[in-house]
Amino acid sequence: MAEPQFTPIPRNLQFRVGLLIGLTVVIAVGFVFFVLYARGTFDQTQRLVLVADNAEGVAIGMDLTFSGFPIGRVRRITLRDDGKARILVRVPVEDARWLRTSTIFTLERGIVGAPKIRAFSANLKDPLLPNGAERPVLRGDATEEIPRMVASLRALLENLQNITGPGGSVQASLDNVRTLTERMAGKQGALDALLGEEDAKQATQALDRVNKLLTSLGGVSQRLDATIAKADARVLGQGGLVDGAQQAVGQMNAALGEVRDNLKRVEKILADAEAVSGNAKAATADLGALRAEVDASLRKVSSLIEEINRKWPFERNSEIRLP
Amino acid sequence: MSTPAAAVGWFRAWLHAALFGFACAAAALSPSSYTPQTRAIALRQIYFTAWQVLAGYLLFAAVLSVLVVHITVAATFEFGLSGYAVELVLRAMVLELLPLLTALFVALRSGSAIGTEIALMRISGELDPAHATDAGPMQREFVPRVIASGIAVASLTVLGCTTAVAIAYAAIYGFSPWGLEEYLQVITHVFTLPALAGFLLKCTMFGFVVAVVPIAAGVSATRDAKSAPLAVMGGMVRLFFALGIIEIAALAAAYA
Repeated sequence: MAEPQFTPIPRNLQFRVGLLIGLTVVIAVGFVFFVLYARGTFDQTQRLVLVADNAEGVAIGMDLTFSGFPIGRVRRITLRDDGKARILVRVPVEDARWLRTSTIFTLERGIVGAPKIRAFSANLKDPLLPNGAERPVLRGDATEEIPRMVASLRALLENLQNITGPGGSVQASLDNVRTLTERMAGKQGALDALLGEEDAKQATQALDRVNKLLTSLGGVSQRLDATIAKADARVLGQGGLVDGAQQAVGQMNAALGEVRDNLKRVEKILADAEAVSGNAKAATADLGALRAEVDASLRKVSSLIEEINRKWPFERNSEIRLP
Repeated sequence: MSTPAAAVGWFRAWLHAALFGFACAAAALSPSSYTPQTRAIALRQIYFTAWQVLAGYLLFAAVLSVLVVHITVAATFEFGLSGYAVELVLRAMVLELLPLLTALFVALRSGSAIGTEIALMRISGELDPAHATDAGPMQREFVPRVIASGIAVASLTVLGCTTAVAIAYAAIYGFSPWGLEEYLQVITHVFTLPALAGFLLKCTMFGFVVAVVPIAAGVSATRDAKSAPLAVMGGMVRLFFALGIIEIAALAAAYA
């Protein structure tokens, strides 16, 4: 034996090697059983036959999915006598409840990746799909769209080329923009660009005239200033309008003072008048008594006259002259 | 050495290795090869080849799988194909990369040692009579080493792949249990029965050639001590090509 002598051989070598081999065997066998189990080898399955126009890309072992979950697996693909593809799918009995008589099967092929077989059950209350049922497959193929897409894309590109090519509208617009910016950079600047050469000149002249106008307006405003200063002097200066007004106000104040005195006197007069009227009231009361007396006297006179009349029958004139 | 002579030598060396391989297989299948003595040699060989390096090898497998998973997930995400990341990782890492790396690792560590050992035995005259396919040394020395090598390769591959599968799950989904169902689904999708059978066959072949080719090279050494390095070198080169051929054949069978 030429085993390296410097490496000591442990005493439990048999145990360690046994452990290693045992672990390996357990993992390997366990994995194989797991895969077999997970692939449904021990499940009871039912058959489902899907009929497609074209089974391109469909491979044995592919999943049939329902709502994104694999519920079955392709077992066999054959070509029928009528030229259609027959895809045999095995569905575990447990998962067959998702498949109803109204279920629709689709075979969709994307641009990338394998095609997908999908099942759509709109009504899960419909009767269950029987074992061995044969159903057509609806196909959706993204790659079939590509030629049409390419054709329209080419048309689009041609249009783009026409727009951007020499003589195209984009080119023309760019030329216009260039002219515009060139004129903007010129002597008359943006005005030239906006109004054109002639109009720009006129505009410039108009601006000049406006400038002149503004200058003369400046003179006018100076003169106006002088006038206002004079008016100020007239109104506010010595002997001006305001001065006179001030004097008038003084005189008016004096007059008002006199008026106030007069009013005081009137007040006194009114007080006297009040006293007079009080006397008059008393006098009026006396007059009542006087009148009563006069009344009494008159009644006496009248009775006297009646008596005289009775005693003096010749004179029928009963008119009496009051004093 | 002229070119035709070299070609003939090359061909004879391959033929010799192939014949030796058949002889070994035949001896390994005969019950008379299994004696307590051969069993002790095989146990020791497995211990040195697999057990001693197990921790380091598993660490290597773990680091490699973390890297490969990250690269694959990032690349597939960039191309909008992240749905295929798990499948890609499992196929690339577990089905192809790790078994080959394991075989190369065992070849480098033990294959060269075994080849040298046999060459030295040859030089010291331990392997008399001269014919290598003779039942004596074949059953006594070669068969236990071939079987041990095969078991070591299978063991390291299985444990390394298990580590890689676990690490890949953690690297892709994190330490969450909710990706488990999807992950197991992808595993069952990748490891179909033909794939498993092919994997098993490939690993067996790897283990077999890792032992047989260096031993055949060692046997081809002469009594001259200077022939040993040449014989071992030729054996290692043939071993490399044999592993490559097996891998290519496996890939061709699986995907072509």
